[in-house]
Amino acid sequence: MKKNKKSTMAKATQRMLVGGMMSEEQEAVLTPIQMVFFSFIKDKIAMVGVFCFLFIFACCMILPIFYPIDVYYQDVTQSNVSPGFGMLKVPKALSSDAGQLSLGSTFSVGIDNEGHVYEWGNFPTDKLKKLPKDMGKLTQVSAGLDHILAINENDEVVTWGNDRMGLEAIPVELRMGEKPVKVYAGYQMSLALTDKGRLYSWGNSYIVDIRFPDGVQGHITSFDANNDIVIALTDSKEVVPLTKKATSYAKIPDGVAGHAVDMAMSDESVAAVTEDGRVYAWGNNIKKTCDVPEEIQGHVKAIEGGRYHYTVLLDDGSVVSWGDSTFGQDQVPSIQEPVKKISAGYYGNYAIGESNTVYSWGLDGYVMGTDDLGRDVFRRLLKGGRMTMTVGAIAVIISTIIGVVVGGVSGYKGGKVDNIMMRLTEIVSSLPFLPFAIILSAIIGNSITETQRIIMIMVILGFLSWPGIARLVRGSVLAEREQEFVTAAKALGVKEWGIIFRHILPNVITVIIVNATLDFATCMLTESSLSFIGFGVTEPNATWGNMLNSARNATVIEKYWWRWVFPSIVLAISTISINCIGDGLRDAVDPKSKER
Amino acid sequence: MRTGRFLLKRLVYIIFVFFIISILMFAIYKAMPGDPVKMMMQGNIKPEVYQQQYDNMREMLGLDKPIPVQYVKWITNMLRGDFGYSTEYRRPVKDVIGVPMRNTVLLNIFSMILVFMISIPLGITTAVKKNSILDKVVQVVTIVGYSIPSFVIALLAIYVFAIRIPLFPISGVRTAGFTGTDFEMFVDMAKHMALPVLVMSVGGIGSITRYVRASMIEALRMDYIRTARSKGLREKVVIYVHAFRNALIPVVTVTTWWLIGLFGGSVVIETIFVWDGLGKMMISGLNQRDFSVVLAMQMFYVILSLAGNVLMDIAYTLVDPRVKLEN
Repeated sequence: MKKNKKSTMAKATQRMLVGGMMSEEQEAVLTPIQMVFFSFIKDKIAMVGVFCFLFIFACCMILPIFYPIDVYYQDVTQSNVSPGFGMLKVPKALSSDAGQLSLGSTFSVGIDNEGHVYEWGNFPTDKLKKLPKDMGKLTQVSAGLDHILAINENDEVVTWGNDRMGLEAIPVELRMGEKPVKVYAGYQMSLALTDKGRLYSWGNSYIVDIRFPDGVQGHITSFDANNDIVIALTDSKEVVPLTKKATSYAKIPDGVAGHAVDMAMSDESVAAVTEDGRVYAWGNNIKKTCDVPEEIQGHVKAIEGGRYHYTVLLDDGSVVSWGDSTFGQDQVPSIQEPVKKISAGYYGNYAIGESNTVYSWGLDGYVMGTDDLGRDVFRRLLKGGRMTMTVGAIAVIISTIIGVVVGGVSGYKGGKVDNIMMRLTEIVSSLPFLPFAIILSAIIGNSITETQRIIMIMVILGFLSWPGIARLVRGSVLAEREQEFVTAAKALGVKEWGIIFRHILPNVITVIIVNATLDFATCMLTESSLSFIGFGVTEPNATWGNMLNSARNATVIEKYWWRWVFPSIVLAISTISINCIGDGLRDAVDPKSKER
Repeated sequence: MRTGRFLLKRLVYIIFVFFIISILMFAIYKAMPGDPVKMMMQGNIKPEVYQQQYDNMREMLGLDKPIPVQYVKWITNMLRGDFGYSTEYRRPVKDVIGVPMRNTVLLNIFSMILVFMISIPLGITTAVKKNSILDKVVQVVTIVGYSIPSFVIALLAIYVFAIRIPLFPISGVRTAGFTGTDFEMFVDMAKHMALPVLVMSVGGIGSITRYVRASMIEALRMDYIRTARSKGLREKVVIYVHAFRNALIPVVTVTTWWLIGLFGGSVVIETIFVWDGLGKMMISGLNQRDFSVVLAMQMFYVILSLAGNVLMDIAYTLVDPRVKLEN
C-alpha cells in the first residue's frame, strides 16, 4: 500500500487503530488483517452497508427497551390502524373551551361549552365523519369502538358511525318519557341510563349479556362497561355486576358495599371510589391495574378507566394515573391549574382544567400502524429484527464452526479422511435446502414449545448450510499446508491440532469472515422465507418473515399496506447491506477481484 | 474416452449419494407422526378382535419386519414409482402429482429462459463496458435484485401489477371455468404465469449477471484475447467466441446451483401465487398431514438436485474440453 495513495480517512482510522505510536514518516508494516481493514473502509458502498446495517441492528437491540411489547398481547379494538399520529390532537377551537370529551378506540369526540361537536383521530370507519344533520346542541358524548352516542339539548339520544349490529335502533323508551342522563358507547354495544334509574342497552347482544339482579333496574345511578360485562352503581351505593355468571368482578371488597360513589372499569378489573375518597380495585390484576397508589387514598373524587389503566381526580384538583405504561397512559403531564373533569378510555386520557383547557396523555398513534390483531407494527418490527438477526447469527455460528472443522481437518489430513468428509459435504449440499428445511421443521416442530422451535430453526439452518464454508476452508488449508511455516511448526513438534488451529487457521480467517458475512444474509433470508410460509418461527413470536405471513392476501396488500411495506423495507435493506459488506470484504481480501 | 470414464464414475458416485440420502428420507418417513396401521384401520372394530386385526394389518404392511427389510421394500416401491397413498386426495400419489409437476416445470423453465435471456447479454455488456455508467447502475441493481427475498418482490409485484395496474391475475394457474381454443388457453395460462415467472427471475438475474460479468472480465484479461485482437479478429468474435466460451465454466457451476435452488425456492412463490405446483402441494400435504405426498415431493427434489450434479459434470466437459476431471 503506497503511502501517498492513502486517504485521510484511512489515515485517521489507522491512527485510531494503531494508536499514536506510529509516526507519519514510518512506513507501516501491516498485518494481512490490517490490510484488509484499510482497503475495506475505503470501499464506499461497503461502508454505506455497514452504517445501514449497524443502524438497523442498533435499533433492534436498543429501541425495544423504550418500546416494550408483550408478544402475547393483542387487542381487536386497535386492529389495522393506519400509521400516523394525532389521536389525542384536540382541535384548536375545542382545546381552550372544552365541555366534555370522550375517547373511542382510535379516535375521540368532544363538545365545547356551546354544545358544538368535534371529532379527531384515526377513524375506523368513514361513517363516523358523517354527523347527523339536525341533532342540535349536544350535552354529552361517548365514543366507542366505531360509533358515537350523544345526548342533545332536547334530551334525545343520537348515534352515528357504525350502524350495523342494531346500533342504530335506539330503544323506544328513550324517545318517550324517560330522559337519558348518561350514555355509553362500547364494543358494538350502546348503553343509556335514564333519570328513572333504568339502564337500556342495544347493539350486538352476543358480546355482553346483561342480566339485572332483582331490585337493580330503576335504582341505577351510574354504570361502566368493558367488553365482558356491565357493572352498575345503585342508589344504595352498591356496586352490582349485571350478570348471572360467576366472575371475578363479583368479589367486591369489604368497604365498598353501601359506600361507593363512583366507579370505573378497565378491561379486566373494576375500581370503585367510596365516600371517604378511597379507591378499591378488584378483578384480574392485569398490567397492575389493581395496584392502587397508596398516596392517593382518601383524596379521590372521581375515577375513569381505560383498557388497562385508571385515572383519578383528587380533591386538590390534581390527576393521577396508574396501570399499563406501554403507551404512556400513566404519565400525567404537569398541569398548572386545578382540573375539573377527567376522561379516560382505551389507551388515552384527557383532563379539562378550570380554564377549560384540555390536557392529554396516552396513545397518540402508531408510527407504522397496527396489524390485524391490533399489535403495533413498529414494536413488532423491532422485536422481529432481534429475532431474525439472532436466528441468523446463531445459524451462521453453527454452520461456520462445522464448516471450519470439517474443511480444516479434511484439508490438512488429506487422504481417506478428506475423501469421507468431502463426500459427506457433497451429500449435505445435494439436499434440496428449502424443501428439506420445511419438512424437518414440520416433523420436528410438531410437538415442541416455541423456544425449542426457535432453537430448532437455528440448528436446521446451521446444519444445512455448512458445506460451502467447508469447501472454501479446505481449499485454503490445502494451499497453506505446503507453506514453510507449517513445515517449521511440524519440525518443532507442534501437535496437529495446534498446527491446524494456531498456525493455519489465522491465515484463512479472512476467507471465513467473508463467507460468514454472506451466509448471515442467506440465513436471514432463509429464516424469513421459512417463517413466511409458516414453517419457521411462528406467532406470537415476531420475525420479519412471519410478520409478512399475514400480509399474503390481496386485501391486506391493497388496503393495509403498512403491514407489509415496513417489514419488507427493513428486511430488504438489511440483506442488501449485508451483501454489500460481504462484497466489500471479498474485494478487500482478494485485491485482484477489485479490478473486476 | 477419459471423459466417458469420468462421467461413469460420477454417475456411480451419484447413485451412491442417492442411496445415502434415501436412507435419510426413510428415517424421516419413519419419524413422521401418526401410526400408519391405525390410519389404515377404519370403521368400528370390536376391542376383542382389534389387536388381532392390528397385527394382521401390521404384517400386511410389512411393519413387523426388521428395519433394513422395511427400507429395501420402501426404496423398491419408491423406485418403481409407487409413492404410496395420498390421504388428502384419496388416490395413489403417483396419480395426483402429474399436473403439479408439469406446472412446476413450466414455471421454472420459463423463468430460466427469462433469466438467461437477460442476464447473459447484460453480463457480457457490462463486462465489456466495465466502469461505464451502465455498468455501475447494473451493479447496484443486481445486488439489490439478489438480496431482496423473493416473497418481498412477490408482494411488491402483486401490489404494482395486479392491484394498482390490474394487468395480471393474482393467483391460480388458469381462470376458473375458462374454455376456448388451445391458443386462448395458452394465453390465459401465460397471463397467470407472468407474475410468478417475473418474481422468480429477479433473484436469478441479479446473481447470474454478476457472475457472467466477473468471469467475462477475468477471461477478457487473458493473453489469448490479446492474441485474438492482434490477429485482427472482429471485436464481436473476440467477445462471443473467444472470451465468452472460457467465461462459461464458472457460470455453469453457479447456474446449476441456482437451478436447483430455483426449484426448491419455487415452494415459496407457488404458495404466494397459489400456483398448483409441487411446492404448493408439499406445503398443503404437510398442513394436511398427508406425508406420502410430502415424501414423494421430497424425492423429486432430491433426484432433481442429483440430476443437477450430473448435468453440471456433463456441461463442464462440453464447454471446456481441458477439464481433465480426475477425482
